[in-house]
Amino acid sequence: MTSSLLHPPAHLPPSVALHLSQQAPLLLQNHSTSKLPISIPFLSTSETPETWAILENLLLSCLRTGDDKSARLCVEKLTERFGEENDRVMGLQGLFEEAVAENDADLEELMAEYDAILKENPTNMPIAKRRIALLRSTGKLEEATVALVAFLDSSPTDAEAWAELADLYLSQGLFSQTIYCLEEVLLIVPNAWNIHARLGEVIYMSAQVSGESGIEKLLVDSIRRFCRSIELCDDYLRGFYGLKLTTGRLLSLLPQNFKPASTVINPAAGEPAPPTLAYVQRLNEIATAKLAEIVRRSNAGEKGWDGYEQAEIIAARALLDKDVAKVEK
Amino acid sequence: MAQALTQTIYRDPALFYWILFPITVVMILTGILRHYGTVLLQAAPKKEDIKGRRETRSLLRGITLRNNAPVLSRSSFQARKNYIIPAYQSGQFLKDPDAKGQPPPNPMTDPAGMEQMMGMMKGNMATMIPQTLIMSWINSFFSGFIIMKLPFPLTIRFKSMLQSGVATRDLDVRWVSSLSWYFLNLFGLQSIFTFILGNDNAANQMAAQMAQMNPGAGAGGLFAPGQDPDKMFQNEAENLEVLEHWTVLDGVEERLLDDLDIV
Amino acid sequence: MIDEKDLAIHPLVPESIQHNNLTLSQLRNLSASLFGVAAGILGLESYPGFIFYLVGTLLVSALVYLFPAKREPKRYFQGGLWELIEKDVLNGLMSFVLTWTLFFGLVSA
Repeated sequence: MTSSLLHPPAHLPPSVALHLSQQAPLLLQNHSTSKLPISIPFLSTSETPETWAILENLLLSCLRTGDDKSARLCVEKLTERFGEENDRVMGLQGLFEEAVAENDADLEELMAEYDAILKENPTNMPIAKRRIALLRSTGKLEEATVALVAFLDSSPTDAEAWAELADLYLSQGLFSQTIYCLEEVLLIVPNAWNIHARLGEVIYMSAQVSGESGIEKLLVDSIRRFCRSIELCDDYLRGFYGLKLTTGRLLSLLPQNFKPASTVINPAAGEPAPPTLAYVQRLNEIATAKLAEIVRRSNAGEKGWDGYEQAEIIAARALLDKDVAKVEK
Repeated sequence: MAQALTQTIYRDPALFYWILFPITVVMILTGILRHYGTVLLQAAPKKEDIKGRRETRSLLRGITLRNNAPVLSRSSFQARKNYIIPAYQSGQFLKDPDAKGQPPPNPMTDPAGMEQMMGMMKGNMATMIPQTLIMSWINSFFSGFIIMKLPFPLTIRFKSMLQSGVATRDLDVRWVSSLSWYFLNLFGLQSIFTFILGNDNAANQMAAQMAQMNPGAGAGGLFAPGQDPDKMFQNEAENLEVLEHWTVLDGVEERLLDDLDIV
Repeated sequence: MIDEKDLAIHPLVPESIQHNNLTLSQLRNLSASLFGVAAGILGLESYPGFIFYLVGTLLVSALVYLFPAKREPKRYFQGGLWELIEKDVLNGLMSFVLTWTLFFGLVSA
């Protein structure tokens, strides 16, 4: 189980996070006993990069599960090793302070502290990010957006920040900005299938609210994004879910004698030709079949198929059931 | 042909214990020492100011746009191009836009350049000093006699180097003195260091020499000192301008269907 | 251009590639040293020694190709089969010569 501490626990289900944080006292104790006065590289393994990655992730898990005491220990250990002035440690300290803050006044104080740090050293990225996160969590969406845009202006190759900005824009319903941001994320990490799927989802959402005119094109874009995400990651549930949803919608929109290429998209713009109706139908069938397979195997708890999140499985099943109900009618 | 007879020389086995092993052990230990010495000498990464970071990362953004352009659809790529190329050409991302068009600072006087040179010097010293020390140690202690026979023949040119101090004209080149054992160690111990110290160890001087051959190829040095950032932006703008765009989304449905149908 | 396109469509994870390369080079170095020991003890001289090394590395390559890479070297190495065969052969040669000389000397002394 320690190995999963090596990976950031952002998307761990709550039960796993709890399990991890329950190991905290043990890990922290182990960590403190094996201290030699001088670290001899062959004899003591107390100083691997993994040690600190584990501590950091442990801190996050502890904060999630409310184990503030262990979290404080983690912060102290990290501070002891890397010093008060380390950017990353400062960010983690800020995170801890935010988590244990009792009321709004505490948060205000923290905010002032962040501002002071940033005034002194504007390149402190973790603190700048904490400040933006704090702005967002206190409901000042506008300010957070402005701060994030400024942050991205000075550091436009930060995928995390772009993703956060996309999320911010999405929460305000600004689809085209969201799409732009997600594309920017993809430019930095071109093979992130989850971002491809996310982009598909956002495009689909924007298709829902757009008028009749451009909806087919948006849906086709969305389908392509989902296809790409599945291509990158086999059996990706979100990808198949989106694919089924979008192809279904497109099929319901298109008249049966739909003629591509001439009607929807201007070929002079150099856009790829939209898929033919047969392709869309075929994709829909495949997505349905795959979803059914994933749901069945996951529920049966087959080996290698148990990594799906329960909520997503339930949603997929609901989608399938709806489909069945429609057919029966 | 009396020459064809293999020459045999009887040597004291103690030669091995008192020369070969000490040299090997010393070489290994020096390698380890050099590794940790270099780690110690490495200057902490310099704090860059926010303008400088903006400059570097903006350029990096252009490069990633060029490299990863296929993930975008044609229209989004066009939109980005329309934004980024004029910005590059007008020097919008420069650290200080007023300096545009001025000649770059002399690398010898530029403090940033000096620092980099110092770093290179340190690296060089760390390889040069132990090497010369060990060579002179071997020369003063163990020269003047033969210690071993190489299992493979060499040309006569090596005679003066590998049998230095042994004034025997007719001796086969395969009989060598301790200095050649040193050379063998120098090259052959690379892999041992990889085992002991990990792959990117500083004891590995082959890698160090490679790095000296083409400086700037490594990460971090996007802007080599003495290079005009404005020039680099202009170059990148040009690269983007001529980039032939294609997208992975082209025909992705067909590919996917092909893949899944087979399964 | 075709290769580039192919790579973008079916990307390889750089970290995994790096790990594979590292594993392969460690295997090469270790096996080269062991071949050196063997050649030294066998008392091979000049060409037979080098041929012994070449045959040995080829054997190792073949084993890597058959078992860990499961006959699909393209999935694990960027350059495919050729990279699997020729990678680190020269580096390994150095270690081979070192241990070869050492054991040759020890045995024949």
